[in-house]
Amino acid sequence: MSAMEYAKELDLRNLPCPMPVVKISKGIKEVAVGQIVKAVTTDPGALTDFPAWAKTSGNQIVETQEASGEVRFFIKRLK
Amino acid sequence: MEASLRDELVRLFDTKLSRQMLLNLETCSRCGLCTPACHAYASMPLPKYAPAFRAEVVRRIYKRYFTALGRFAPVLGEAKPLTDAALEELREAAYSCTGCRRCMVYCPFGIDTQQIMSIAKLLLIGAEAAPEILSLLADVSISKGESIETFKEGFLQGIKRLETQVVARWKVEAGTTPIPTEVEGADMLYVALAGAHSIIPAAVVFNAARENWTLSFFEAVNFGAFVGDPGKTQLILDRIVREALRLGVKEVCICECGTAVRVAKQLSGTQPFRVVSLTEVHARYLREGRIRVKKLPGSHTYHDPCQIARNGGVYDEPRAILGRIVEDFREMSPDPKYNWCCGGGGGLVAMGEDTLDFRMRSSRVKADQIRESRADVVVTACENCHTQLENINAHYGLGKEVKFLSSLLADALVAP
Repeated sequence: MSAMEYAKELDLRNLPCPMPVVKISKGIKEVAVGQIVKAVTTDPGALTDFPAWAKTSGNQIVETQEASGEVRFFIKRLK
Repeated sequence: MEASLRDELVRLFDTKLSRQMLLNLETCSRCGLCTPACHAYASMPLPKYAPAFRAEVVRRIYKRYFTALGRFAPVLGEAKPLTDAALEELREAAYSCTGCRRCMVYCPFGIDTQQIMSIAKLLLIGAEAAPEILSLLADVSISKGESIETFKEGFLQGIKRLETQVVARWKVEAGTTPIPTEVEGADMLYVALAGAHSIIPAAVVFNAARENWTLSFFEAVNFGAFVGDPGKTQLILDRIVREALRLGVKEVCICECGTAVRVAKQLSGTQPFRVVSLTEVHARYLREGRIRVKKLPGSHTYHDPCQIARNGGVYDEPRAILGRIVEDFREMSPDPKYNWCCGGGGGLVAMGEDTLDFRMRSSRVKADQIRESRADVVVTACENCHTQLENINAHYGLGKEVKFLSSLLADALVAP
């Protein structure tokens, strides 16, 4: 598993709907364009929600890691 | 406000003027019976939180552009033009109303403030002044519907991870998939939310009842309805309708999400399947003897989600379930029709911490009601309500446990 550098980490584990998407939408605005946010979630639906959110909001998921029942998204702010 | 925008907003307003809406706009006698019925007003007695006041914000704009007196002598007709300040008033009115319709129960004419607020929300969308996060959430849902093949594999991986947790709670027969997906000809399509808590207990109970079910690829929640966009609401719902038709199911079961239940039941149109809430399905399993349960200790009360109960008529089923699975059940309100709204609906919970202060201040009466029930556990059947009740519990120091009804039922299951 690569050790990707990131500017901010968001713990989105076990949050109710729709907080993972709400918090990543807010969190991505707290880093500079080009920087990366690491978001950790346990939602099975996140594996569809996050790519759809990235496409809609114009950001980029640069890496997805799955381990120990968690999914870690590394998301680059593009605009 | 530029004239072209104002003209566009008047056009949007006109699209909402059904006969029902005209009745809502032209009938109010200002009797004031709705005023103390609103949880926001009852918690914070400010005139702007009176349902009739909220409605009046929209009604005066209606009078300005759709009545003769308003058009030709607006000063005489209590008419108000569409301005930037009027938009701000519309925003305050629309997003301080949860659409619980408790005021409607008290109104002698049955004026539907929630429906009037749908005009306010539509005008805010037209002016690009709707809450950004709600619009984004709706767009994400629509994007998933347009590109489901792209996202399908990831979802299936996520679901696979949950299967051991389902089997740990209820063993399935060899060769049976604990969380089935893409089952053509299944009796039931279950539409959940993104979180495991919305899938695991439901799967456990379906398997215990030997239901022939399949899990939807889509989340049930309809953010189009929260933001008040009729077009997006329908697009988000249509994803589920198309999936149900493709699989040929007899029934679409919506998870514990109040808005999702109401939208799917009321807007799916005439289809070869029927739409039911998870609570109704669970009550049916108990009625038909398809599952066996034990009684759980502790005192429990039930919070009626407004979209499922007052706006959807599901009052008896949760009580039938609780009557079978808990030793001590206590009503919050002598008549569930008058149960207070939790204060989290209408998109307020989905707007997160931005609305937390208002949500807590406006839910004082709900906190009092929960405290007075003297129950240890508050049970509900809606994701939004659950989040809001957790927030209320912490804010007011109630010391209660908040549980989903489906989770409680899964805990109460016993082997046949």
